[in-house]
Amino acid sequence: MVSNIIRAQKLTTGYEKFTVFSDLNTTIKAGQITTIIGPNGCGKSTLLKTIGRILKQQSGEVFLQEQDMKLISTKEIAKQLALLSQNPEAPLQLKVEELISYGRFPHRKNVGTLSSKDIEVIEWAMDITKTTAFRDREIAQLSGGQRQKVWLAMALAQETSILLLDEPTTYLDLAHQLEVLKIVERLNKEHHCTVIMVLHDINHAARFSHEIIAMKEGEIVTVGSPKEILAKDVLKQVFSIDARIMIDPENGAPVCFGYDTFLEQE
Amino acid sequence: MHKQYRKRFLMTSSAAISLIFIAMYIHITNGTFDMSIKDVVTTLLRINPNNDFDLVIFQFRLPRIVIAALVGLGLGIAGTVIQGITRNGLADPGILGINAGAGTSIVIFMFLFHMQLVASSSSNWLSILLMPLFGFVGGVIAAIIIYSFSWRNGKLDTQRLILTGIAISSGFGALSMYISLKMRESDFEMATVWMTGSIYNANWIFIVAMLPWLLILIPVIYKKAYLLDYLQLEEATIKSLGIEIEKEKSILLLCSIGVISACVAVSGSISFIGLMAPHIARQLVGIQHRYVIPTSAAVGMLLVIFSDYIAKTVFAPAEIPVGIIVAIIGVPYFLYLLVKSKA
Repeated sequence: MVSNIIRAQKLTTGYEKFTVFSDLNTTIKAGQITTIIGPNGCGKSTLLKTIGRILKQQSGEVFLQEQDMKLISTKEIAKQLALLSQNPEAPLQLKVEELISYGRFPHRKNVGTLSSKDIEVIEWAMDITKTTAFRDREIAQLSGGQRQKVWLAMALAQETSILLLDEPTTYLDLAHQLEVLKIVERLNKEHHCTVIMVLHDINHAARFSHEIIAMKEGEIVTVGSPKEILAKDVLKQVFSIDARIMIDPENGAPVCFGYDTFLEQE
Repeated sequence: MHKQYRKRFLMTSSAAISLIFIAMYIHITNGTFDMSIKDVVTTLLRINPNNDFDLVIFQFRLPRIVIAALVGLGLGIAGTVIQGITRNGLADPGILGINAGAGTSIVIFMFLFHMQLVASSSSNWLSILLMPLFGFVGGVIAAIIIYSFSWRNGKLDTQRLILTGIAISSGFGALSMYISLKMRESDFEMATVWMTGSIYNANWIFIVAMLPWLLILIPVIYKKAYLLDYLQLEEATIKSLGIEIEKEKSILLLCSIGVISACVAVSGSISFIGLMAPHIARQLVGIQHRYVIPTSAAVGMLLVIFSDYIAKTVFAPAEIPVGIIVAIIGVPYFLYLLVKSKA
């Protein structure tokens, strides 16, 4: 039996007058990759940010290992949970290694110098994301794919058991998308990292996730394994598409290889 | 990697300190009454004191140089912090209206307490010491107005911050003007000269009045300098690292307002130092704030001492307020930055 590492209870979040979702309940299992999918504006990023306490909920609670997150200091949370935001920004003159070392913030006592433990984790983060080669470069000199790996390395340097990724593959080419997701998979397999991510590509979600949360208009439509979610009826309900699905003979994951809209019939 | 920055910082700061001493030397020896370096040194060391030299150095030139240095230091630091918090290189205490806010409340203070043009008598002691406090209140009021108008969706909207700042700035400017027109003639002159930013009626009491503010607030800012590095990231990442972003921003902003108010209280509104010094500093030592802040402080000192020297010599014996000289240097620099940032 896999235990729940995060539990959201009656969560309501919104911006000023506009509520994105209300009274939402969900659980995230420890040691698994959970992906949130859904159409634009369904609230999937908002849910991720609320779980990661980047956005403040209007009501309800998020429990981190059965502890109300409102009662834990934000620095303590940062030791357990890291979030890679959708469009991270840094000064362009910043050196890669320095940016990655920012991830050590919640662990550092002396802000002036890095401890040997800090350096060790930074090296590990660069190694696993394959960013060591350009550690001395400035952010300005990196391609989009390299940048995304550097940001991932910074989140890894935070040395947390939970990783939240907000559309980590957006703006990347096909090869870089796969590379980032394979790093995530490796983190989960070898380091037992719990991963919660938002993805647009349902095929990627199916291939890399243990569990998929499908959202629509601020509600969780259904939660299940890739095979349960990549089904004609679910995709019709969530995305209003007529999907054609088969099983990838290479890895056994369900794949949506083509789809049409229902717009004309309805 | 860090050693390289450190080396650059140490080199830059030694160069800056030497330049500051050279500027001080020129400033103290030149003027309507030229002195040799020997005269200055012997006077400072109290060897064969001469009454004329004593008067010129201790009553006129030295306090003026010290104030120029302190104001430059304060504005250089505050400018760095404000640019760091807003993540906007064109932000400046003057543009954000904090100067104007502090200025208005000091004009009100002058109006109420009838400050004399030459505030030398010791009866004015208490009121001079109170001036920075008044300035602080005005600066905080301006900041609260700016903050509340630029607060959107639970965070600070930098674009709005700048726009509101400009509006607030002209609003407070008009208010200052209105109040100063209601003043007695002597107060009015004092207020006008002070508003354009001048330090030629420098006085040891002014130094005593501003020093505690700098001594208390600058260490707090320096201690949090490393946070300014993190504040250059975007909000979600900062929060994810476990930084209480709005709290830290507010502490840094309040400390800067305190420093600015103390500077404005003694020197009036000298703008552009807070804008120029951080830029020059970043070009010299890179982007790490624990190096940028002291460098910007040194650059600010140098700029104000140098500008004040020009202010006192160009049309000697007539004096131009130092703020005007700084603006003459600052306006082209500001335009240059604007053009560069667009490209």
